[in-house]
Amino acid sequence: MKVDFKLNERSVSWDCAPGETLRAALRRKGIVSVRDGCDGEGSCGLCAVILDGRLVNSCQILAPQAEGSSVLTVDFFSRDRKLSIVQRALIDASCVQCGYCTPAVVLALHDLLARSPKPSDEELRDALSGTLCRCTGYEQFYDAARIASERLADPEYVVPLGPEFRPDLRHVGKDREKVDASALARGEKAFVEDRVDSDACHLKLLMSPYAHAWIKSIDVSKALDMPGVVDIVTHENCPDRVYTTAGQGFPEPSPHDQRMFPRKVRHVGDRVAAVLAETPEEAEAAIKAIVVEYEVLKPVLSIAEAKAPGAPIVHHGAVSYVVGDPPAGSSTEGDGRDDPIIYQFPLHADPHRNLAASVADGIGDVDKGFAEADVVIERTYVGKRVQCTPLEPHVVYAKVDADRLVIHASTQVPWHLRRIVAAAVGLPEHKIRVIKERVGGGFGAKQDIVLEDVAGYMAWKTRRPVLFRYDRAMEFMTSRTRHGMEITVKLGARRDGTLTAMDMKVEADTGPYGQHCLTVPMNAVSKSLPLLLCDNARFSVKTYYTNLSPAGAYQGYGAPKGSFALQGTLAELAFELGMDQLDLIEKNMVRSGSRLEILKSLGEGRPGAAVTLGTCGLDEMVARGRKAFAWGEPKPESDDPDWKIGRGAVIIQQGSGLPGLDAANAELRLLPDGSLLMLSGGADLGTGLDTVTAKAAAEIMKLDMTDVTVVSGDTDTTPFDKGAYASSGTYFSGNAAVRAAEDLREKCIKVASGILGEPESDLYLVPRGIVRGKRGEISLAKLAHMATQGEGHGDLVGFGNFKTEHAAFPYGAHFTEAAVNVRTGEVRLRRFHAYQDCGTPINPALAMGQIYGGVMKAIGHSLYEELLFDDQGRPLNLGFTDYKIPSIYEVPDDFHVELVPVEDEVGPFGGKSVSEISLNSAAPAISIAIHDAVGAWCRVWPFTPERVLRAMGKL
Amino acid sequence: MVKEYFRPESLDEALELLAAPGALALAGGTWSLAFEARDKPERVVDIGRAVPRTIETRGASDGRGAELCLGAGATFQEIVDSKSTPPAIRAAATSMANRNTRNRATVGGNLGANKSCSSLAPILLALGASVEYKERSKASVTIALADWLAAPGGLVLTVIVPRADGLRASSLRASRTACDIATSTAACAFRLEGGKVAGLRIAIGGFGPRASLRPDVAALFEGKPLPTKADIEKTVAPLLQARADQRGSVEYKRLRGAALVADALHAAEEQI
Repeated sequence: MKVDFKLNERSVSWDCAPGETLRAALRRKGIVSVRDGCDGEGSCGLCAVILDGRLVNSCQILAPQAEGSSVLTVDFFSRDRKLSIVQRALIDASCVQCGYCTPAVVLALHDLLARSPKPSDEELRDALSGTLCRCTGYEQFYDAARIASERLADPEYVVPLGPEFRPDLRHVGKDREKVDASALARGEKAFVEDRVDSDACHLKLLMSPYAHAWIKSIDVSKALDMPGVVDIVTHENCPDRVYTTAGQGFPEPSPHDQRMFPRKVRHVGDRVAAVLAETPEEAEAAIKAIVVEYEVLKPVLSIAEAKAPGAPIVHHGAVSYVVGDPPAGSSTEGDGRDDPIIYQFPLHADPHRNLAASVADGIGDVDKGFAEADVVIERTYVGKRVQCTPLEPHVVYAKVDADRLVIHASTQVPWHLRRIVAAAVGLPEHKIRVIKERVGGGFGAKQDIVLEDVAGYMAWKTRRPVLFRYDRAMEFMTSRTRHGMEITVKLGARRDGTLTAMDMKVEADTGPYGQHCLTVPMNAVSKSLPLLLCDNARFSVKTYYTNLSPAGAYQGYGAPKGSFALQGTLAELAFELGMDQLDLIEKNMVRSGSRLEILKSLGEGRPGAAVTLGTCGLDEMVARGRKAFAWGEPKPESDDPDWKIGRGAVIIQQGSGLPGLDAANAELRLLPDGSLLMLSGGADLGTGLDTVTAKAAAEIMKLDMTDVTVVSGDTDTTPFDKGAYASSGTYFSGNAAVRAAEDLREKCIKVASGILGEPESDLYLVPRGIVRGKRGEISLAKLAHMATQGEGHGDLVGFGNFKTEHAAFPYGAHFTEAAVNVRTGEVRLRRFHAYQDCGTPINPALAMGQIYGGVMKAIGHSLYEELLFDDQGRPLNLGFTDYKIPSIYEVPDDFHVELVPVEDEVGPFGGKSVSEISLNSAAPAISIAIHDAVGAWCRVWPFTPERVLRAMGKL
Repeated sequence: MVKEYFRPESLDEALELLAAPGALALAGGTWSLAFEARDKPERVVDIGRAVPRTIETRGASDGRGAELCLGAGATFQEIVDSKSTPPAIRAAATSMANRNTRNRATVGGNLGANKSCSSLAPILLALGASVEYKERSKASVTIALADWLAAPGGLVLTVIVPRADGLRASSLRASRTACDIATSTAACAFRLEGGKVAGLRIAIGGFGPRASLRPDVAALFEGKPLPTKADIEKTVAPLLQARADQRGSVEYKRLRGAALVADALHAAEEQI
């Protein structure tokens, strides 16, 4: 039917189907900025438009309802490549991270300012109440609203400078515009879904309704004959190979235990069949026509069930090892029916007893340490499964071009993706090109090859372009969650608080497949134990297969749960000792120059080594927190008898990439006009990594940021990079960019030396792009021009490779003040301060945004989020209506981030990692604060009101 | 799969169109399009132009108005923004999800969905609202909202809220996050006469299939000074029949609902 309305103040007349949503119609007509994060539930707000002056979700409006209306999208504010006041303010306040929600935020703020040119904080919360953002933590939106409001009154308003670092440098340590921010704020094409051709076919999955079942038979004959169906793949005709979906370095530490379509389904949502059809509706109709007969098995739904004698076995296949022998006593013989499991090297596993991996080690004499203790306590902390929930779900667009498989991916690991898909499909890597598009949030979930294998295979097999996009329910069911963990910590201490022994036992649930099964739980130990100095420490890690949803990487990796258990138990020890918890932390924490013996036993996939710390900012950070919270004074009193106030403080750490295991590369080209093209392997997933590499180039080549363009994460045009995980972006990819720039600088000086007739040692670069000697000078533009002439010296290109044996730990001290309602168990965060040492902050405001976002995610995990299952293993809360991630209303009243720079000797310009560490504090800090408020220890996250009431003995 | 879309200008036309089996009356669409009716109805009848949308007071000469009339097509945000809206109704409307949703969700749609977690129904029930509705080929009828919610029929035209001086009212909800669906809701209205509760109405949501008036709960407090919150909780909790779901166990929901009733009664008592 014909729908006439005004779109961005122009009259349009569109043919729409009666049931087509306005969002679908807008996208069909090329307005890509109306995103979709919740499948039309109206819970994410990313599809917002302004309809007749009101901010509304276009997914909940039928296109015909727009008849006679005025519809504004972000494109209205982006005309002629200009930026509106709001767009400019969002960029200036560093609010554009992944950018998937940014167009919706732009509209919400325009709508707000139209109603209230000087909005209060409450009005801002109301304006953004319908827009979810998982990256930013919302805090900097307040800055953006203030900036926009000021500029409404005074267009020349200049934003006050934020904190700056490294006065010796021009760009590093100063806030500069994120290189992709303008395009994202304008709502331009940037994401995978924007690259889809009109002839794309649609891939839909038939997913298992059972948590554990054999597929006895499957009949696709009727479905194959249905209109529009291109092909169907099942376990009967898929490639007969097993692999891991974990995008990790080689040799892969995760077992190869997943077939593209398994013979036995191992979780609700597991793959049974994939249908490729010309329309989504045709694919869905064909899915319904597939007949499957299952032999339903008893599912394994907890760690306790997995390790119980006689437990149902999740994997029955033959177990083999590429290197090394099976552990003594483990079972390797398969049942001849199930898919095999191949370990690249031994992980002390015994899959036929549901043990996917294990490890145990330690230092000193732990038993002696406990014997010497005056007080010994042992506590078990449980972290439930939480979901990464990137607002852009997993999505891939794969097509065959010139007899190669081209994959447009939303991934953190383009090169691992290429390797894994090549193996899965059976192609050499040169036949595959992976192009990482802008990523609408990754957070670890996109470190795994969740859907690219099947999409790539079907594109290659059928030669048809394949779009495969998860809906939100699939994202919850089959994407990656943080491993469920139960961690028992035993601590011994003398009366004065000196730790004499530490013992940490981690049990984890990896779900049906073993991606990250050793490394995530191991990380719970390796990023928490080394915070405390103790001569006697040991740990054990055991990871079990279950029939719950697949676990995997999630920002912070295992550290948030390890930190929860260790810092929580440490606070409980302080309570037992009658000590202030922060005093006990300070008594035992690492400091500059500390010798970390425990690292001998915590090598990441290889033997570890003790490390002597360089400088460490913990003392300073704890001191700042103490002062801000007036720690020595009595805590604030509540004026409402229902609400009690408590405080909690923790110290945290992370790593900066994987020393000795991973590597990054970059290439920097000097273009004929003297500008630069940075080809970085790094995968910017909204964090600002491309801005880091651009800064490295501009800083070293003495140019401006506007003189550099970054192309990144394209396996054809940029060099290898391990990808964005393990907090490696700035440290590894950033350092590779630094080295590429240094290499280019040396080459430029060498060529300039010949031209100017001056020795290289007399030449140096000065802004803006001038090589200067004692007598003469030459611009980079002229150098480049001469180099590309027939008699020139050839293209001037710098190459940089970074690998290191140096472990750079960022540290943090986070403080919170919570109010707990003694009648209802509800918890409100009055204050949350994050003092963090990320080395030199390359982009201070962007770094702070990463911390706000990380803390906010962890607050969500601590208070609200939990993936729930019924007694058959069916996930229950599969959308944002039921699984609540924080909105702007959940932001702590006083939310504060402070960067405490401590330079790292190897990091780029002294920088270290920044974001993952921020997730390690909220659970223990809030748990400690709850105890301080009401005297109850909450040892299971999330601390729902019900759990708090139970801990208080009120239920 | 929607095959037909209509936007009738008149109520009678809308009712005619809705007579077809499986036809969906589309108001704000924030519930029907999001959840239950997605892809299902073959015919969608957008009633936006067929029902009143105004928010007004009428029936008194002193300018204050004797009763508040909420057009079924009025959105939650319009209720929030209207100067005619009394505070307790504004609080209830404000508690609806988020601004984007409030800009679409309507009075009629919220009552028509008749959900246990309705943001608006409890306070309207507590205030003794009635509803004017119309069925096909019949004259419009006005009945008590409680009766209409028990057996909904036709299309809601207007909700009429009587206004009475000296009435204290409040509307509260409990939810996991600010924008979550309510785990429980409670609204109440009463007078204080000589320090004693008089004419108390309490409506509660989250316990049972829809929000409803709870005369059994109100009877506990009628004619007496308002007890302490702890005493209210103790007496109310056993009367709440909860069902465990992902938002909580039976025991928790009962405790939370009782606490909410206590808070609502005390919040109303403190109102001037």
